[in-house]
Amino acid sequence: MDLRTLLQPATQLLAPLRHLSSSSSSSSVLLPLIATRGHKTTARTKRSLKMAPHDSFLPSRSAAFPAADQIIYNPPASEASPEHTPFLFLPRNDPRRLAIMRLRNTSQLSTSASSSAGADAAAGDGELPPEMRYKRRQPKYNLTKEHIDEMRRLRAEDPLTWSVQRLARKFECSTVFVQMAAPAPEEHLRWLRAKMERKKERWGPIRTAAREDRKRRAEMLYRGEL
Amino acid sequence: MKRIRPSRWSGQLLQARRGAGIPAARTPLCLAIRCQSTSSVPASDSSTLDSSSSASPPPPPLPAPSFDRAPQSAKLAALHARLSLSKKIPLQTLARALVTPSADANPNFNNANLAYLGSTIINFHVYEYLVCKWPRLPMAILYEALRAYAGDESLQQIARRWGVEAAAAPGEEVDPGLLQWKAGEGHVVNTRWGYIRSEAAKGKAWRRGLSSRVVLDSDFGDQVSSSDPERLEYNALQSEAFGSVVQAVIGAIYTHCGRDEAKAFVKSHILSRELDPSKLFQFKLPTRELAMLCAREGFEPPIARLESETGRLSRTPVYVVGIYSGKEKLGEGAGASLDVARRKASMASLKAWYLYSPGNKVRVPSDMMEQGAKPWTAPHIDIGEII
Repeated sequence: MDLRTLLQPATQLLAPLRHLSSSSSSSSVLLPLIATRGHKTTARTKRSLKMAPHDSFLPSRSAAFPAADQIIYNPPASEASPEHTPFLFLPRNDPRRLAIMRLRNTSQLSTSASSSAGADAAAGDGELPPEMRYKRRQPKYNLTKEHIDEMRRLRAEDPLTWSVQRLARKFECSTVFVQMAAPAPEEHLRWLRAKMERKKERWGPIRTAAREDRKRRAEMLYRGEL
Repeated sequence: MKRIRPSRWSGQLLQARRGAGIPAARTPLCLAIRCQSTSSVPASDSSTLDSSSSASPPPPPLPAPSFDRAPQSAKLAALHARLSLSKKIPLQTLARALVTPSADANPNFNNANLAYLGSTIINFHVYEYLVCKWPRLPMAILYEALRAYAGDESLQQIARRWGVEAAAAPGEEVDPGLLQWKAGEGHVVNTRWGYIRSEAAKGKAWRRGLSSRVVLDSDFGDQVSSSDPERLEYNALQSEAFGSVVQAVIGAIYTHCGRDEAKAFVKSHILSRELDPSKLFQFKLPTRELAMLCAREGFEPPIARLESETGRLSRTPVYVVGIYSGKEKLGEGAGASLDVARRKASMASLKAWYLYSPGNKVRVPSDMMEQGAKPWTAPHIDIGEII
């Protein structure tokens, strides 16, 4: 079975070549561009699939042959348990906090003794993985009472042109803030809701089911079942 | 100081039953003149009965087996031995623990009083254990954890593992070692204890928050209503009947053997069961909740960092996202999309906060009641939930 799947692309590759060779009847065209050896026999396939185990699975060879018994501990990758409280969440009088602080102090002393102080300072933020880009709260506090009054006036005047997005762009604040500070008039909200209802009515069974499934998946995620 | 030992007072419950001949305020008259018990009916009572009802037909059959037959029941003796109960607990008390109010409505003969006593003891010990073991659990989770340990369904499982079996139908001729219960039509649940809101009594609408559950409602945070007694399903009635057996046995142990024995029994039969509280959580906005937690505690705002990823352009990518506050890592989660992984990491960090535990060998307040206990050190007390 494995062999057949491996061989299939090879035969497909060969098919146009055969056609080409039959038409031109010159044997020089058949030479492949890159000379690589395929898994054309069982022996080669088996040899290519044979991989050495990772070092952590092998017994230590540091000592001579009749070495002491050794435990190979190599658990599979798994989620961290929530029972392991991170350092920051430990209360002040918890003995684990003191132990971790003592451990960090000793390791810091040893590293600073071995390496220079400049390298230690440079390794501050560089060791952390890269930040993700996502929408998050970045408070600016740039709006005054006049701004908010202006925002409300615009929204009440013409909620269609002065949408939440546009107001947020104009006043350089988040859309959530606009929705809180200058909510739309009731009739506009009703109109929007009716528009949404009309849109939903046009959805077919597939889209409706997909939306419901997405909602259900989100609930499962929040229950920790996903 | 000398301790009072109720266990030395022999046969307390049996003595209490002597008053059965005297009509109590709560019992109907027709039930009050029942003379079912061993030989404890006062002579005056029997003489009045004889004089009034010498020519009347024989009395109707009892709703539950007589306690006279308790020492002859092999099932009762086996249950007594299986639970390795003390010899101070008579078989008659164990037989009474198996008679539920649905079989015999007379509170002098059923297990309602013992079950209530037992339920308070169970809930007390489970609560103090939960609060000391996981001091940061939110109130809603605490209620569910209590229900998982001491709720009717869990107690039913315990009773079934003890080998308690239900009689097909309760009656006088049944073996007293069988659980006497029936799912009656007009059975009204009268074993709920709690306060009733005045708004509920008047039938007004109100917002029922968690503080109302803490102050007013039953031990499990369930609402108690007097106006319309709830109609339970068959399964709920069954688990209530089986659960009342466990509660009544613990009540009997407390009555006959004392506080320490009851605590040891609760510890070995109820608190020994395994519960994973991390399964009880359901979040709504985990990222926002975590940000509010960090703001409240004075930590740096949480930032999601991509620790590793595989197969970004494939059909099944996996991203591992870690949440960091400053340089400290709070939690980690893996998901099929960046957003899902971030939310899972937030939930993992929140669970790590809520499931903080001082250790597996926490001391509970009732440990101080033992003689020669070490001086008390205050447990960790959390300032409360994130609102």
